[in-house]
Amino acid sequence: MSSNNDKILKIFSTVRCMNRDQLPRYLDGRLTDLEKHLLEQHLVDCDLCFDALQTLSQAKYREQYQPLSVSIQQYIRNSIRKVSTTQKVERYQRLEQKKESFLIYFWVVAAVALGAGGVYLVQQQNKFKAMNPPQPIAAVDKVMEPIQTSQSQPVVQQAETAAAPVASGTSGRDTLQRRPTPAEVKPVALVKKDTVKAAPATPKPAPPKDTIKKLPPAEQKEEKSTLQPARETPAPVAEKKDTPPPAPKPVPKKEKEKDDDDTKTVDAQPTGTDEFLYKAAMVYHQQGDLNEAISRYKHLTDSKSKYGELSRYQLAVCYRSKGQTGKARRMFKEVVRMNGPMKEKAQSALDSL
Amino acid sequence: MEPFRFSYVNIGNTMLQQLTNLSDKELISRARKLKDQEAEGVLLERYSHLMVAVCLPYLNTAPGTGADDVFPVLLQRLSNSLKTQTIHKVNEWIHYNIKAMQDKSDRNLPFFSTTESREIQQVENRIEQAAMNQKEQQQLLAQVNTVISQLPAEEKYFLTKFYLEQQTLAQLAASKKYSIDKTRQILKNAKQHMASILMK
Repeated sequence: MSSNNDKILKIFSTVRCMNRDQLPRYLDGRLTDLEKHLLEQHLVDCDLCFDALQTLSQAKYREQYQPLSVSIQQYIRNSIRKVSTTQKVERYQRLEQKKESFLIYFWVVAAVALGAGGVYLVQQQNKFKAMNPPQPIAAVDKVMEPIQTSQSQPVVQQAETAAAPVASGTSGRDTLQRRPTPAEVKPVALVKKDTVKAAPATPKPAPPKDTIKKLPPAEQKEEKSTLQPARETPAPVAEKKDTPPPAPKPVPKKEKEKDDDDTKTVDAQPTGTDEFLYKAAMVYHQQGDLNEAISRYKHLTDSKSKYGELSRYQLAVCYRSKGQTGKARRMFKEVVRMNGPMKEKAQSALDSL
Repeated sequence: MEPFRFSYVNIGNTMLQQLTNLSDKELISRARKLKDQEAEGVLLERYSHLMVAVCLPYLNTAPGTGADDVFPVLLQRLSNSLKTQTIHKVNEWIHYNIKAMQDKSDRNLPFFSTTESREIQQVENRIEQAAMNQKEQQQLLAQVNTVISQLPAEEKYFLTKFYLEQQTLAQLAASKKYSIDKTRQILKNAKQHMASILMK
């Protein structure tokens, strides 16, 4: 009873179509009873299999069937391979294209990022420069101070010389002594001082004295009001213009004038170039270009004028601001050793280092 | 280059073997969703011998009906149809397309499985699901027995002889002196009749 029940439910069981092995075996009667019954169950529903069996039951079609079946199978397999290889090639090409496009995007993004980074860096540098100027300005203040002192000190010296030895002081000597720094004592000038000293032996020494007494305050006023190195040079020229009239004798006067002119040209030329170089170095120093300023100051260190000492001092300041304390200390020591007007400043800087 | 070629062929063969083990439904799904033409090829190859057998009487009956013309056209038609039409039973779909190709008036009509076919399929699914549940199986068995008792006598006789007594088609045909085709048609009608009653 139970086996009958199972069989009843198998009325609606699903059976696959005949495969290429079962089909001829069914026709030849080479199937087991169970297998045959299962295939016949399928044949009840499947028109395709039943039609195929009906056709192949005829001998003329049976002969054609086998070669055609093999050839169509081969045809499908070949077309699958062709299709599959072309598909794989297409997939590979698509992948490659994607990779290439990703690479292009990557490089574009990288280039943009680099560009943006560069712009950002430049902006930061500009900001840094904008933020930094207080330091160079402070340095300039420091720098300007020595110039003032170097100018004021000679003035004091001039006042002293003008007040005490009136008899010994001559106009020519004063004008020569008024030349900037005490360190700057040139042998040529000294020789000419002697020649100038010889001249005042003449009966009228008074007018030069007046000029000496009158001139220093004027100079002091000018120097105090401006206190800039640029105005240093015009003052002595004005003095020199004032000095000639008191000379009584024409011949010595001419000689003296010639001598004065010679001393001026000999003396002014190096100081002028030194001053120019010093100012140029200062400009670089103010702009914060310490390396360029250092190289410029170095050119001036050999100068025997006051700028030699000043440039050494500034050089030491530059080294200090660069953090090269050893070099800075050495330069300050050199300035101290020079025993010039910057000695005290250099000493204090040395102490503070 | 040689090792690569060999390895590629091996990979292709293993792929084909894996696809051959898949059911018709899975192959159709792969061919549609993944546009896997290998799956499509495996499916068509599975039924190619039946296509050849069914098409043999049609070959060389008219100009342009040689094997080299008919089979590529049929395969292309099936390939196009596979992508657009709903296929419940591949054998019905292939049979419909072969007949449509042979009878050129029907070639533009799309394939739809018949109502009877769908009813039979639903009953088949129901019995398959009930196989794990004994209670449901008992209920279904009672229903089927009731339906068989409602069938005409001839259909009932053929069903009983064929499915319960496991007689062959030839034996059944010989017992009633019918042709095998007629015997098969009676059984088919009886099955469809049962399915329609069960699905009511």
